[in-house]
Amino acid sequence: MRIDVQNLTHIYNEGQTDEVTALDDVSFTVGEGSITGIIGHTGSGKSTLIQHMNGLLKPSSGKIFADGTDITSKDVSMPEIRRKIGLVFQYPEYQLFEETVAKDIAFGPKNLGMSDAEIEKRVHTAMSLTDLDYEKFAVKSPFELSGGQKRRVAIAGVLAMEPEVLILDEPAAGLDPASHRSMMELVRRLNTEHNTTIVLVSHNMDDVAEYCTDVIVMDDGKIFLSGTPREVFRHSSELESKGLGLPFGQCLIREMNRQGADISGDSVLSGEDAAEAVLRWLEEKKC
Amino acid sequence: MLRDITLGQYYPRESVIHRLDPRVKIAATFLYLIMIFVVRDFTGYAFVTCVLAAVTAVSHVPVKFMARGMKPVMFIIVFTFVINIFVYKGTVLVSLGPLNITDNGLRQAVFIAVRLILLIFGTSLLTYTTKPMQLTDGFESIMRPLTKVGLPAHEIAMMMSIALRFIPVLLEETDKIMKAQQARGADFESGNLMKRAKSLIPLFIPLFVNAFRMAIELAMAMEARCYHGGNGRTRLNPMKLQKIDYIAIVLIMLFAAAVIVQASGITGLPMLWPSR
Ligand SMILES: Nc1ncnc2c1ncn2[C@@H]1O[C@H](COP(=O)(O)OP(=O)(O)OP(=O)(O)O)[C@@H](O)[C@H]1O
Ligand SMILES: [Mg+2]
Repeated sequence: MRIDVQNLTHIYNEGQTDEVTALDDVSFTVGEGSITGIIGHTGSGKSTLIQHMNGLLKPSSGKIFADGTDITSKDVSMPEIRRKIGLVFQYPEYQLFEETVAKDIAFGPKNLGMSDAEIEKRVHTAMSLTDLDYEKFAVKSPFELSGGQKRRVAIAGVLAMEPEVLILDEPAAGLDPASHRSMMELVRRLNTEHNTTIVLVSHNMDDVAEYCTDVIVMDDGKIFLSGTPREVFRHSSELESKGLGLPFGQCLIREMNRQGADISGDSVLSGEDAAEAVLRWLEEKKC
Repeated sequence: MLRDITLGQYYPRESVIHRLDPRVKIAATFLYLIMIFVVRDFTGYAFVTCVLAAVTAVSHVPVKFMARGMKPVMFIIVFTFVINIFVYKGTVLVSLGPLNITDNGLRQAVFIAVRLILLIFGTSLLTYTTKPMQLTDGFESIMRPLTKVGLPAHEIAMMMSIALRFIPVLLEETDKIMKAQQARGADFESGNLMKRAKSLIPLFIPLFVNAFRMAIELAMAMEARCYHGGNGRTRLNPMKLQKIDYIAIVLIMLFAAAVIVQASGITGLPMLWPSR
């Protein structure tokens, strides 16, 4: 599914003394089958933006089209939109409520009015996708799990609705390195194997560089930069001036150049890219 | 939507009222409450309203903002008005089937409504102009003499300040959980009463779980910083009455005296629509 955001503006507490323009004339497209990363400093409007993309917030002005359907209009069917566009919030583990993990995951499909057999099937699929062993976890209380396991359950709860677009707000924040990796691998797998379009909000530049096909940089409610990761991270000094970091490889090359090297590494992103660039540079120096 | 609840919030501004000692403000509010019940006619209410309007103007809290805070209690005011208007005997003004609106009923209904509005406006001015921390410090200081008879003044004040501190946090939390469940297709708005009550389960369970979690975490964080109750605790900013506080005390005394004199009727001023 393709999402077109057009001139989106959102003002919190409009007309009151404490009004905040959280989004200011934002336009972009999330291409079908893409993994679109959204980065930006704290308070730049990322969470506000994604809540518009499945109709949880209504814009002050502007429109959003999902495969051509205007989801900001009044006559659109909200359950339909919520089924097609799944949203996983920041720290979703605090939204679990059912007695058992399986029941909690079934909450979404149940709200969509599916048959018991279909729900059962979807719970199984969602749990295996998120690496939750059905035998072990299905009848456990979600409140007895560890933070990382809870997060998997919460994500499984959204996956069980089998959305065409999955929006994730910092899914890997606060996880240990191994869980972090497997979370990002899950995102990639959903994208490649299930053809799910992904929108990923992240503060981790390495993840964005490695997994995303497109990147949008937000700053104070506006789009500051957009393009492929290579295009975006080329603007390293602009990004740093906005309080954002750079991928590891880019940092390394910059530091080496600062200390006297002259490596051409504008399009370097990951550690591997950097290693290649350094080796190439050493080759050139030898002859 | 939930952020619309402004009642009881602090409204930061630079004003004389904001600077007053919280103990003076609490005592003044208390005296004001008593005076509202002393008033017996609409001349008295006109006077109280003028004084309240003057204090509000000095406090720089916009009336629009205060009116917004009245919204949630408007229901109670309308409800008591409607009840009152029908239950009093007297000269019938309008007859609606078995229900009669009498002159006494109308008088009483308007009287109580005005009293409630003045009550809420006046007390909310206290919270609008006083930081929660100052408010509870003030309460603690006023209650301190009662520790001799076993009242845990410090603990009560600490509980109050924590409760006040968590109101906005819990409202935000509610909003977040509601949205998260809506993203999973939950519907909080349609259906009959039973269905709606049931739809609140996915909201309230996480809310309570999170509230308890936050409470436990806060308690541990307090203990980690050696909190052990009020004994021997000193203050960063000890409260001390200033010149403006003494002026305020004199003014509020004058106000109370004026209300009492007017209500007793000895001034010979006409009583406007008084109770019997
Ligand atoms: N419910 C709300 N009411 C009023 N203002 C809000 C509300 N939610 C967010 N804001 C404001 O809107 C702006 C954007 O907030 P948003 O949550 O979208 O930022 P973010 O980019 O997601 O930040 P973070 O990286 O910390 O999650 C901020 O200035 C914030 O204070
Ligand atoms: Mg956010």
